[in-house]
Amino acid sequence: MAEDQKIIEQFTSGEYKEGFVTDVEQELIPKGLNEDIVRLISERKQEPSWLLEFRLKAFRAWERMPQPDWAHLDMPEIDFQDIIYYAAPKKDKDRPKEIDPKLAETFDKLGIPLKERDVLAGVVAVDAVFDSVSVTTTFRKTLAEKGIIFCSFSEAVKEHPDLVQKYLASVVPVTDNYFAALNSAVFSDGSFCYIPKGVRCPMELSSYFRINARGTGQFERTLIVADEGSYVSYMEGCTAPMRDEQQLHAAVVEIIVEKDADVKYSTVQNWYPGDVDGKGGILNLVTKRGICKGDGAHLSWTQVETGSAITWKYPSTILKGDFSSSEFYSVAVTNNHQQADTGTKMVHLGRGTKSRIVSKGISAGVSQNSYRGLVRMGPNAQNARNYSQCDSLLIGSRCGAHTFPVIESLNPTATVEHEATTSKISEDQLFYCNQRGIGPEEAVGLIVNGYAREVLSRLPMEFAVEAQKLLQVSLEGSVG
Amino acid sequence: MGHGRYIDPVTAGAPGKLYTVRAGEVLNLEFVVLPGESRDIHLTVDLVAPGAEAHIKALYLSRAGEKVNFHILMHHRAPGCRSTQLIKGIAGGEARVTFGGTIVVAPDAQQTEAYQENHNIVLSEQARVDTCPQLEIYADDVKCSHGATVGALNPDELFYMRSRGIPEQEARTLQMLSFLSPVIPEGREAEVEAAVRSL
Repeated sequence: MAEDQKIIEQFTSGEYKEGFVTDVEQELIPKGLNEDIVRLISERKQEPSWLLEFRLKAFRAWERMPQPDWAHLDMPEIDFQDIIYYAAPKKDKDRPKEIDPKLAETFDKLGIPLKERDVLAGVVAVDAVFDSVSVTTTFRKTLAEKGIIFCSFSEAVKEHPDLVQKYLASVVPVTDNYFAALNSAVFSDGSFCYIPKGVRCPMELSSYFRINARGTGQFERTLIVADEGSYVSYMEGCTAPMRDEQQLHAAVVEIIVEKDADVKYSTVQNWYPGDVDGKGGILNLVTKRGICKGDGAHLSWTQVETGSAITWKYPSTILKGDFSSSEFYSVAVTNNHQQADTGTKMVHLGRGTKSRIVSKGISAGVSQNSYRGLVRMGPNAQNARNYSQCDSLLIGSRCGAHTFPVIESLNPTATVEHEATTSKISEDQLFYCNQRGIGPEEAVGLIVNGYAREVLSRLPMEFAVEAQKLLQVSLEGSVG
Repeated sequence: MGHGRYIDPVTAGAPGKLYTVRAGEVLNLEFVVLPGESRDIHLTVDLVAPGAEAHIKALYLSRAGEKVNFHILMHHRAPGCRSTQLIKGIAGGEARVTFGGTIVVAPDAQQTEAYQENHNIVLSEQARVDTCPQLEIYADDVKCSHGATVGALNPDELFYMRSRGIPEQEARTLQMLSFLSPVIPEGREAEVEAAVRSL
């Protein structure tokens, strides 16, 4: 028993490796949020008037909205006037050809090779977002040859305003929810990606987000459009320095999947989770939604959530096209005082639509980990099918694991299945490993990895390695 | 504020009819809701001492505009308690069925075993079934699971029986009866069968 306790303690005391701060000169705007700030952000980014209008509309809507309270979270009061909404590394007037060496160092530390020659055989194209601006996007030329647009959101606004205008807020309307409205008002940068008809993107596309400046929030916006019959695999990763204060991250991701297109979206979220006493950390309040717009479209979400003090995130799919399909694979790990309320929504509108949800929660320390999901079968969803499986693993006796699925069926031919289990690593399992010469630490690692395998195996190669490492880091040094 | 921590659900919410189960006691509840009847089954079971057990079985059959609501809270306050819930039913016509079931395992209620299952068959376009099974678990040494399904009668089974000479209506009745059989209370088989035939 004492040994168990030790393993658990060590498991929960894994350190945050990405907690460094980069010393770059920052260009900040004043604290606070009002119409002038929104105008200032828009001005700094030299945006066209339609986008300013969009922001102001969102801001006015946000002002009238109450902060939601339904999640199974102890949310601290957020003072929206105490946040800096725009922070950019200072740079020369012309966009530098080479990125600031300090920044390069930061991304190197994070293991993100920005210099193209460093990228192994060119398998990944990266858009890196540092605080409020996109720092660099790699491989644009190679991609452009195929007609693929992959650039920062600000560039997309300038270079492809028609596409941005057509798709922006078409999946997540500005008034969708409190944090989406806030994001729409003050979003700073993000990634834009367009895959033309019938093109199979030859490499993984990837965004890396990092919050560096103190007292700032990050509000990025990602828009992915996959035109008919195209394919893209998109990855997203994030980190932040260790700070005592809590920082806000409110992103919006929109994905449009046209007829027969296939999008795979993977996230490894490793924001700073706060210290062992729950001080500091990122409030990760994110709206992610995709629409399978055309027949036979396919959207797959895979997420590994290990960071953030609070996670409030429900990557969802609207299955509009007939015979479209979607999947949601998730591993959420919470330690210490972390809280996660995460899950998905599958809204079946079209005939013969299919969805599959596999969610694995792991709670340790005094954390709270919730799965919240909605599966809705619309009246026209003939023969639609859903299968959901939500498992929770508890490590230690003071954490909590919760499941809140909602199933709504308005069609008699639709089939919905939901299954959930909650358990802990049993002494039998540990004993079995031990008596075969596997040490207690390895055994816990083995069991946790086996438990999460179904999800981890869905990640693209580059990410699978990182995710497995992340799980290992949490287990490091837990030899009893 | 949010609700990230354990709150005693019995004192916090509207518990409906409250059953308190003490050490060594076993609570058995059975519900049968027959066609034509709208029912609101709203109850809370509080397992307050080690060794308490609760078993709930419910069956509903609806064929017109009935409204059937289940609102069941199973609260494991003490360690070493056991509970099972099995709620099954068939919704036809314009029936509106909702199931809200929550299992709450309080901190330190170790060695809890709690199971909850809700299965529904929808027969008509206008019928609607919403189900919301929830787990809130604040202890680690527990075995808890829940399952919920909403679907139609299996066409393969139907085909199998028809290919062996069983008329369609009879085959459907057999399917429904076998689906319901785990929750039919002893002595009420004939009554339930008659009700199934009337759907």
